[in-house]
Amino acid sequence: MAEAALQQEPAPMKAGAKTLVRVENVVKHFPAGLGQSVKAVDGVSFEIVEGETLGLVGESGCGKSTLARLVTQLLPVTSGKIFINDVEVTKLRGEKLRQQRRQMQMIFQDPFASLDPRMTVGDIIAEPLVNFGVMRGRKRSDRVQELLKIVGLNPNFNNRYPHEFSGGQRQRIGIARALALNPKLVVCDEAISALDVSIQAQIVNLLEDLQREFKLTYLFIAHDLSVVRHISDRVMVMYLGKIVEVADSAGTYTSPKHPYTKALLSAIPVPDPRIQRGKRLVELSGEIPSPLNPPSGCRFHTRCPIAHLPTPCAEVEPPLEEKVRGHLAACHFSQDV
Amino acid sequence: MPTPILQVKDLHTEFLTDGGVVKAVDGVSFDLYPGESIGIVGESGSGKSITALSILRLVPDPGRVVSGQVLFHDQDLLQLGGEEIREIRGRDIAMIFQDPQSSLNPVLRTGFQIDEAMLAHNKANRKQARQRTVELLRRVRIPAPETRVKDFPHQLSGGMRQRAMIAMGLANAPSILIADEPTTALDVTVQAQILELLADLNRDLGTAIVMITHNMGVVAGLCSRVLVMYAGEIVEQGPVEQIFEHPQHPYTWSLLRSIPRVDALRHERLRSIEGLAPDLLHPPAGCRFHPRCPFRVEKCFTDEPRLQEVAPDQLAACWVTMERARKEMGADDLIDIRPGAGSGLRKGELTE
Repeated sequence: MAEAALQQEPAPMKAGAKTLVRVENVVKHFPAGLGQSVKAVDGVSFEIVEGETLGLVGESGCGKSTLARLVTQLLPVTSGKIFINDVEVTKLRGEKLRQQRRQMQMIFQDPFASLDPRMTVGDIIAEPLVNFGVMRGRKRSDRVQELLKIVGLNPNFNNRYPHEFSGGQRQRIGIARALALNPKLVVCDEAISALDVSIQAQIVNLLEDLQREFKLTYLFIAHDLSVVRHISDRVMVMYLGKIVEVADSAGTYTSPKHPYTKALLSAIPVPDPRIQRGKRLVELSGEIPSPLNPPSGCRFHTRCPIAHLPTPCAEVEPPLEEKVRGHLAACHFSQDV
Repeated sequence: MPTPILQVKDLHTEFLTDGGVVKAVDGVSFDLYPGESIGIVGESGSGKSITALSILRLVPDPGRVVSGQVLFHDQDLLQLGGEEIREIRGRDIAMIFQDPQSSLNPVLRTGFQIDEAMLAHNKANRKQARQRTVELLRRVRIPAPETRVKDFPHQLSGGMRQRAMIAMGLANAPSILIADEPTTALDVTVQAQILELLADLNRDLGTAIVMITHNMGVVAGLCSRVLVMYAGEIVEQGPVEQIFEHPQHPYTWSLLRSIPRVDALRHERLRSIEGLAPDLLHPPAGCRFHPRCPFRVEKCFTDEPRLQEVAPDQLAACWVTMERARKEMGADDLIDIRPGAGSGLRKGELTE
């Protein structure tokens, strides 16, 4: 099915922009004992073009964080290929892979766990520079101060320790570290989920400013669909290790072509009592099935409100294909959504 | 209006730390009416959870309730002895927490823990208790409750554990259910199911709900009244429509504008609130929001505003209020919302 998806015209991306990330039929299975395996990512293909923000959403356990770690090659793939700037990173090992990592950085969810409490902020931000032997002495410390200023912190904070900062400030430090090597791709894995509402807005605005200024490409992973909609050019929805829908942000949110996307959207509480009260929940019964033994056919058929059972939904896996120009979905009955 | 079922009057809860006294809850008062559902919203450190814990006298060390009253059926819960307050907890007022994983005992079967809630208050014998437990689990829509009662907590999913917690909370048909961020750890789809369940309970059983959350969307769907807390104090309260449509406190106004909405039509830059929440060891003088407030005036730096009526049933603690900020400071057209931006009062600006 992934081949089918690849033959389709890709979703609309920024005109003339070049593909930065190409993921081809990537699979990641984790052994789970007794000959079983957790099918965390199970045949996923997509592209990210330079300068865009691709949002990735789905429930916990759908494989979105695993996918992030595959793209940044923090985890090896079970099968499939990943190209960054036309270099097949899944084939690289050792020093060659390490050099590729300069282009891709990650911002993590927990600003408390992702900064070493025994290092000063300056050392944390300088670490990528040290690792790659970029700049020395005065030049390096100037760069650290510059980075602090870029993320909106006082440049003289470089001698302080992470515990002296609030969650939002720590996340800024994590962002400064990610930017140190001028990466092309920044993967934000739930980068704002742990922050308070008023601080989330500050960090989202900062990420947007940085993207403009440094021409960054983001893979933005979050379970908060409102934030994803806000920040993303295109949005990709995952369910049980598969991509079920990809489209530009407006398309995904205003006319979803997969019943799962529709259900996810209806479940989000809107901060407006008049809308929220009158809203009908698309009742999604049950919870996400085990990725040890995913359902046959369409993986969503066990919870789908419009499934035709048993056939085709429980028997034939729907391919991810273009339903409307630039709008891909994997559903046999997307016209009924 | 009927008489309130719970009255919180001038509640003060403090934590004695190495750095000094932290006034986590600083003079909070509100009424809860039978069958009502109110939301307490605020960011971390605003005192919303400590307010809830204070009601049931569950504030962890080194915190203690230093003054105020919590009146339930004319008795002050803060004056009760240990045995007396235990009688109330779980029987008349139940509480559910954010993390069902750590609120359930991992080595006891789920059903037994729910039975226990009834047995502890001598509400039933073992057999009756088990019967009711199965009923409760069915009521919170756990599939196959007859077999699920024998499951250990780890055999349930996160959403089911939270349902089991709610079932436990309902075991003695309490008149008040306090829910402290009950859906924060859950996926949106499961959150929607839990919220619907709480709304049903509120409607069908008349259980009054106090919902503590940072999610404005959750409040919008479930609650009829909302209290907004900032730095240990209630800064605004009123009917939910009123607060969402005509917030009068600049903090409420800013908070509502800083949330991206899934139904937004076009991409707008988020209006973030500048600065950080205050350090409660050294709260700012005057209004606690003034270091971050776009509409502060001279008085805000020195005098603390009290809650006063700004519209029918709506109270706000602000010297300026949004009505004036709109009329005189062009609040609606303000793009720059840095502290003092609307009032032009930039002196003493926050330096991080």
